[in-house]
Amino acid sequence: MIGDASNLSSRAIQLGFLALLVGAWQLLSSLGTISPLLLPSPDSVRIAFVKLVESGQFWSSLRVTGSTVLQAWAIAMIAGSAAAYAITRSRFLVAVFEPVIAGIFAIPLTLLFPLYILFLGIGPSSKVAYAATYGFFPVALNAIAGFSAVKEHYLRAAHSMGASAFATFRHVMLPASFPIILTGIRISFFITFASVLGGETLSSVTGIGKRIALAAELMEPAEMFAWIVFVIVFSVATNMVLSMLESRASAQ
Amino acid sequence: MRMTTGARIFWTRCAMLLAALLCWEVYARLWADTRFVSPPSLVLHAAIFELFREPGVIDALVTSLWILFVAYALAILFGVAIGLAVGWSSFGRKAFFPVVLLLYGIPQVILLPLFVLIFGIGPACKIAFGLSHGFFPIAVNVISGMKNINILYLRSGHSLGASSFDIARYIYLPNMLQSLFTGLRLGMTLTLLGVVLAELYVSTQGIGYWTKLYAETHDPAPLFALIAILALMAVILNELVRAIERRGLRWRG
Amino acid sequence: MNKMTPAGQIVSSQTAAISIQNVRQQYPGRHSSAAVLALDDISLDIPRGEFVCLLGPSGCGKSTLLNIVGGLIKPTAGKVQVSGRTIDGPSPRDIAFIFQESTLLPWYTIRENFHVSFKFSRIARSEWQSRTEEALAAVGMSRFIDHYPEQLSVGMRQRVNLARGIALGTDIILMDEPFAALDEQTRMVLGEDLSELLAKTGKTIVFVTHSLAEAVFLSDRVYVMAARPGRLKTIVEIDEPHPRSPDFMLTTRFGDLRNQLYGLLRDEVREGLQIERKSSAAAGRT
Repeated sequence: MIGDASNLSSRAIQLGFLALLVGAWQLLSSLGTISPLLLPSPDSVRIAFVKLVESGQFWSSLRVTGSTVLQAWAIAMIAGSAAAYAITRSRFLVAVFEPVIAGIFAIPLTLLFPLYILFLGIGPSSKVAYAATYGFFPVALNAIAGFSAVKEHYLRAAHSMGASAFATFRHVMLPASFPIILTGIRISFFITFASVLGGETLSSVTGIGKRIALAAELMEPAEMFAWIVFVIVFSVATNMVLSMLESRASAQ
Repeated sequence: MRMTTGARIFWTRCAMLLAALLCWEVYARLWADTRFVSPPSLVLHAAIFELFREPGVIDALVTSLWILFVAYALAILFGVAIGLAVGWSSFGRKAFFPVVLLLYGIPQVILLPLFVLIFGIGPACKIAFGLSHGFFPIAVNVISGMKNINILYLRSGHSLGASSFDIARYIYLPNMLQSLFTGLRLGMTLTLLGVVLAELYVSTQGIGYWTKLYAETHDPAPLFALIAILALMAVILNELVRAIERRGLRWRG
Repeated sequence: MNKMTPAGQIVSSQTAAISIQNVRQQYPGRHSSAAVLALDDISLDIPRGEFVCLLGPSGCGKSTLLNIVGGLIKPTAGKVQVSGRTIDGPSPRDIAFIFQESTLLPWYTIRENFHVSFKFSRIARSEWQSRTEEALAAVGMSRFIDHYPEQLSVGMRQRVNLARGIALGTDIILMDEPFAALDEQTRMVLGEDLSELLAKTGKTIVFVTHSLAEAVFLSDRVYVMAARPGRLKTIVEIDEPHPRSPDFMLTTRFGDLRNQLYGLLRDEVREGLQIERKSSAAAGRT
């Protein structure tokens, strides 16, 4: 792995890109050409972040958003894979449902958000339901693809050895379709996360999305940027870790 | 009477849709709270007799439609240009493709309040937000379209003495095209998402204003109708892009 | 009658269509010490108008050699001459290449594929239409001229691919396991077609395969190669006029030739398997 020159220099360029971004931020805010209302200095953002952590606001908002995301993600995973399992029992059902699910996923479900607020209020439950709806689709679509991609002769072999339906699922279908389902679960996480933040931004009483919207309304750019930077760093880090785990799991 | 599989699939879907509407109608008429749910028949009624007679709603729909077109056109322009720039050399792909992918993974909705601060609450903000959503899938698919090429096509081209221009024109470009169409389809979906998010966030005008008004006055029929019309618009636009894709990729049979 | 000749025998160079002279090919490994010697000092002359086969176990460098002849790979040392001219890059005027899989571009119809190939190899536009039609007629595929490749079966596609290679009108055709992706029966039928088509034209064909039956059925001369490093082992001549009928396969002579080739390769293949077994055991320990 070591000594691959082009690998090394592309890493250098990526780090350089990051440095350039931070440098440009620092330079632009210190020159004062852009109003500090739109681009606060990196230092003020750091101070705002420390203040958020010390006042406990950071942890309370994080807990709300985090638990909303986890609940929605869990529902999406269970409902998505159960629906996919039921649908893939018959080729006809796959032909009926798969394009419908893909078609619905192609329209912005955010349109339905006002209905969730109407039914469930502006508390966390509307965000759980909305994000779970969004997160359901990638899990269901990938699990359908995964379950239907299991080679027929594996199933026939298991059947000929007298495996029960559960044993077939546990030892043949699940391992064979695992890499594809895993991709769906990863995509589902990011969609759920984005939907919760979006729901909180649009209409909520608390949570990270609400904090960002509120900071913008109250003209507190440093606090808003503190949240934005936190979310960006978190999602980039999670993305890298999950992709790494995924490529390791599918390599096995 | 025997039906083809295609016909059976079509009629099964129709029956399901009809059954769902019927259940909803019965539920809404007999048990539901009329402040929250209204039956499909009343929704249809509201669409025809309330929404289409409200010039404010018509205005809002027309405005968001042209916002969408401008945002999508810009997303295609920037997506293709930057995709080509990054995908051109293998070094560019190696250095910048992971950066583009990581940026694509960021929940952009956290920037929505910032976009409003920068661009105000008018169309500019919604265009910019739609563009920032639609740009990424197009750029990503252009880049991967330039990366994934069957090496045998290239070797065959070389053995026939094709020039670099010939190879770009007859092999790389058509190969990229199918990936580009995928990007255009996803780009449409995400541009729509961006515009809808911005519309709903800015609730002092446009579609956001009307949804808020209907929800707060507990008048669900026109709210359902407005959402249904928007969803229908989204479906039609997606089908339009798909139809163009099918025309462009006839060879996939 | 068939006879064995010692490796590297020189056919008179006036009649040679392709002359391979002391070709060596080395691939750099991960570390400089692990460089792989794919071809070790190969010299052979391929007579004009013959159908010859490169046969050998995987890893003997037969495809590499074919790519060198086609000008797609530059050899580390040595040179290849075609009609007395040293090869330096692809020469579409003299050499057509037919690959393992169909290289028909999926986004063009069969007709457009032929035309693009003619454009690539700078054949006059006025000839495109007639060449396309003649070549397709020769393989009985005329009615698919406006189909897309993916609308055809794998066998039909490779048949069109062969027709396209021949339509380029070169004196030499190189084929890199063109039937590898096909089932046994389709291979046989395409082999018969090929034998018939080429008997008429007098082209020089170099054909890479790992099928013993295919080698015996199609070639005038089989170059048997050995692996690690890739080198020429022997030449087996097959004295049977083209076009060859399927009846040839039923003769005892066919069986004898096939067995003779198997005998030459068996040890090579065994050795290769053992090497793989050893190295995988070594990999398991680390």
